[in-house]
Amino acid sequence: MSLEILLIFAFGGALLTYLLGKTSEKIRGFLAVVIALSLVVFIACLYGKSVEKTFYSGFLGLGLVLRLNMLSWFFAITIAVIGALSVIFSLSYIKGREKTDFYFLMMLLVNAAMLGIVLAGDLVSFYIFWEIMSWSAFLLISYNKGPAIAAGMKYIIMSIIGSLCFLVGMLSLYVTFDTLSISQIASAITSASPGYIVFILTAFGITFGIKNAVLPFHTWLPDAHSEAPAPFSAVLSGILIKMGTYGFLLLLYVIMGLKLFLGLGRGLLSFHSILCLLGAVTILIPTFIAMLQTDAKRLLAWSTVGQAGYIILGIAFGTNLALAGGIFHFFNHAMFKALLFLAVGAVEFRTRTRDLDSLGGLAKKMPVVFIATLVGICALIGVPLTSGFVSKWLIYKTLILEGSPFLAFFALAGTWGTILYSYKLIHNVFLGQLPEKYKDIQKSPFTMQLPMVILSLAILIFGILPGIPLKVINTIGTSFGFESLNITLWGIASETGTLNTINIFSAVLVAAVLLWLLFRLGAESVSVPQEDSYAAGAYTPADKYHYTAEFYNPLYRMIKPFLRDVIDEFYYWIASSVRSLAGSVRRIYSGDVGYYVMYIILFLAVLIFVQMRWKIW
Amino acid sequence: MVVKIIQIILSPILALVVGVFFLGLARKIMARIHWRYGPPLIQPVIDMIRLFYQKSVSHGSMFDLGLILSLAGSIVVVLFLPLGGIAPLSGSGGLLVILYIMLLAPLGMALSGGQGANPNISIGISRKLILGLGYEVPLLLVLLAVMTRYKTISIIEVVNAQQSTGWLLFSFPLFLSGLSYFLILPAILGLRPFDMSSAPQEISSGPMVEYGGKYLALATIEHAFVLFISIALFVNLFLGGADNPAIFFVKMLVVFVLGLCINAVFPRFRIEQAVKYLWKWPTLLAFLGLIIALAIRS
Repeated sequence: MSLEILLIFAFGGALLTYLLGKTSEKIRGFLAVVIALSLVVFIACLYGKSVEKTFYSGFLGLGLVLRLNMLSWFFAITIAVIGALSVIFSLSYIKGREKTDFYFLMMLLVNAAMLGIVLAGDLVSFYIFWEIMSWSAFLLISYNKGPAIAAGMKYIIMSIIGSLCFLVGMLSLYVTFDTLSISQIASAITSASPGYIVFILTAFGITFGIKNAVLPFHTWLPDAHSEAPAPFSAVLSGILIKMGTYGFLLLLYVIMGLKLFLGLGRGLLSFHSILCLLGAVTILIPTFIAMLQTDAKRLLAWSTVGQAGYIILGIAFGTNLALAGGIFHFFNHAMFKALLFLAVGAVEFRTRTRDLDSLGGLAKKMPVVFIATLVGICALIGVPLTSGFVSKWLIYKTLILEGSPFLAFFALAGTWGTILYSYKLIHNVFLGQLPEKYKDIQKSPFTMQLPMVILSLAILIFGILPGIPLKVINTIGTSFGFESLNITLWGIASETGTLNTINIFSAVLVAAVLLWLLFRLGAESVSVPQEDSYAAGAYTPADKYHYTAEFYNPLYRMIKPFLRDVIDEFYYWIASSVRSLAGSVRRIYSGDVGYYVMYIILFLAVLIFVQMRWKIW
Repeated sequence: MVVKIIQIILSPILALVVGVFFLGLARKIMARIHWRYGPPLIQPVIDMIRLFYQKSVSHGSMFDLGLILSLAGSIVVVLFLPLGGIAPLSGSGGLLVILYIMLLAPLGMALSGGQGANPNISIGISRKLILGLGYEVPLLLVLLAVMTRYKTISIIEVVNAQQSTGWLLFSFPLFLSGLSYFLILPAILGLRPFDMSSAPQEISSGPMVEYGGKYLALATIEHAFVLFISIALFVNLFLGGADNPAIFFVKMLVVFVLGLCINAVFPRFRIEQAVKYLWKWPTLLAFLGLIIALAIRS
């Protein structure tokens, strides 16, 4: 199975789904699922292979190269799995909406383009796939019309700025080294001057930073994530923004190489510590903003910004543990954030709202979605026995042992904030009182439950046996020139602190089972309806109050004044000043011929005056 | 292996006994400060046994499971903490794991309470979580200062290092951190003046309001464990741990009584006041401690 056939299959499949899907809805859904699933199988078969081949050399004499190594394989399999699961979820989510053929085309196209990005072996093909991804994502974000169009606009404008930076960097590399193949640049760049390297890092860093929503380039993300259709939000948050992560890995470790990257600058002013600091700030501030949201998807979107900070911090810190933690967290985040977006999507599908202040009590109505959300938020917080814990543990450990307690503080302080907003999410949607209007709500359809169950199981399995993905990640790390980690199936063994998830798992399991038995031994408990609760002798009428509204009101009052999104306001200010400037420029072109004649005469008069006064010509 | 298994069985039981004893002692001391006689020391035990045989109401499966999860989390933390030479599982991830398993307790309680659908619970949990955000900031700075000072994430190594250097509470930069920990201890324990999340007169004990019978008994045990864990962590990190459990528990007792006497005379904070206080003095002290620890290290 060669790489170009894989890509042709991915792109061709998308087109085929569109064309054949015109005939009937069943064929369309079936084809989309089959294509997405077969991509998973194909990529899984490529495990451990290492390929690099030129597939086209007619482009300005530059070879277009595809290549596969452990890094691209790991990203590719994540893309394929999350992509396939969200396509399955889409089947019932998108049913009965208009333009579903277009929707599936775009979903498959985004997947194919992302596969292209991670398989690209030169910057030109990288750029082509990158643009296909950006533009099809734009069309999907705007799918819902209304506010979604503005969100899509914001996304694509920032994305174009990123692409321009990429072009600048790419052209400059071509002029300097006369090649655009990634492996050739990597060997040539060691002789470049530090100033030039900083320029290249900045240009590409802006591109990847925008995609990865690193502060201060995060402003497109909350709008885009909350307005997109839920299955695409899962793809967007789970993997699309991680193309920025992939870009950073490519830039820092494949192109620059470890030594060059860490040796740039000194102390706090080095590129590496600035990037670490950006990562740390990206963890902390969005976490606080997320607590104040009342729209479930917007809350998750801000949380995505925060979690992406962990990934950047891990990658930028540049030790083998941190890198492993960063890449593992990318993988975990893809799983649990996709899971959470799908869960919120499933709730929205039934209740037609994502407003956290009006939902509640759905745990008994949608038990599967509830359990999936519970697993998702546990992984998001980093509760032990979910995979989210292991990746964060790796990052914290290395930050503390390498003497960066303040970075560790930023990362750790994000944790309790994460508890606050994720508890708000699960409490306001699934716990608390069930409003009258949702009394007869149905369970989610099977095609929605299946992806959520698969993702929840994966989170738990990789949390108890983190050695499975860590083995692959360790191979990536050693290929970057890091020392190999001592990975066991249930964690990491080392002299400076061992992690043993099996111990934790068995301890929690035994304790819980014993307590459950003790609990059963006690006197019977009677199950009562929700209205039958203690209210100091007064009867609380159902639907009179909604307890979940304004859940963190005291905190809200305290921190609201400090949490304006200044950066977003600044961008809007730039946009509006450009608009008013353009407006005043436009006034020159009044459309009246008389004015144009006057401009010409005035211009000539100025020229004549200049000539008579200074005699330049 | 056999020793380890005995330790694994023994340490939660020890923690339970000591924790429940502290609960009884707290009521007695509070009563004496209020010029009352107070209940007998074993009153919590009597209550728990009685509650266990009383009927109760349940609001759903998460209502039951959340409580069990919370208590299971606390029991596991005890296994990771060195208790005067007994430390059966402390080699499985160090302080970071302890810090994260400690999250299971409030999270489980919150999930269980959440299904209770009672306004008092919602208010209580909201306050509890905000308070957590308040004390977590200084607590993390304190723990990071200790870990930075000794370049380790293992709590056993911190305890062992104090055998040679003396108690951290009286060592130069870290007495600031120790003081900060002592100041936030009542907030972690939910004692006055930080008992706004379970304020009995105001919101009917908040998250506990729907609990009766065995639920209340388990919630009391959970409270005893939390009491034990937070003080044991302080003794391990700042008072040098101990060679045998007896000395360890004496140290814990001193810390507990001291904290109780200081805090018994304060009226209850409002939640905003509590967070503002926690983010001011304890955070400042802990921050200074961390900066100096970092400067000394490099």
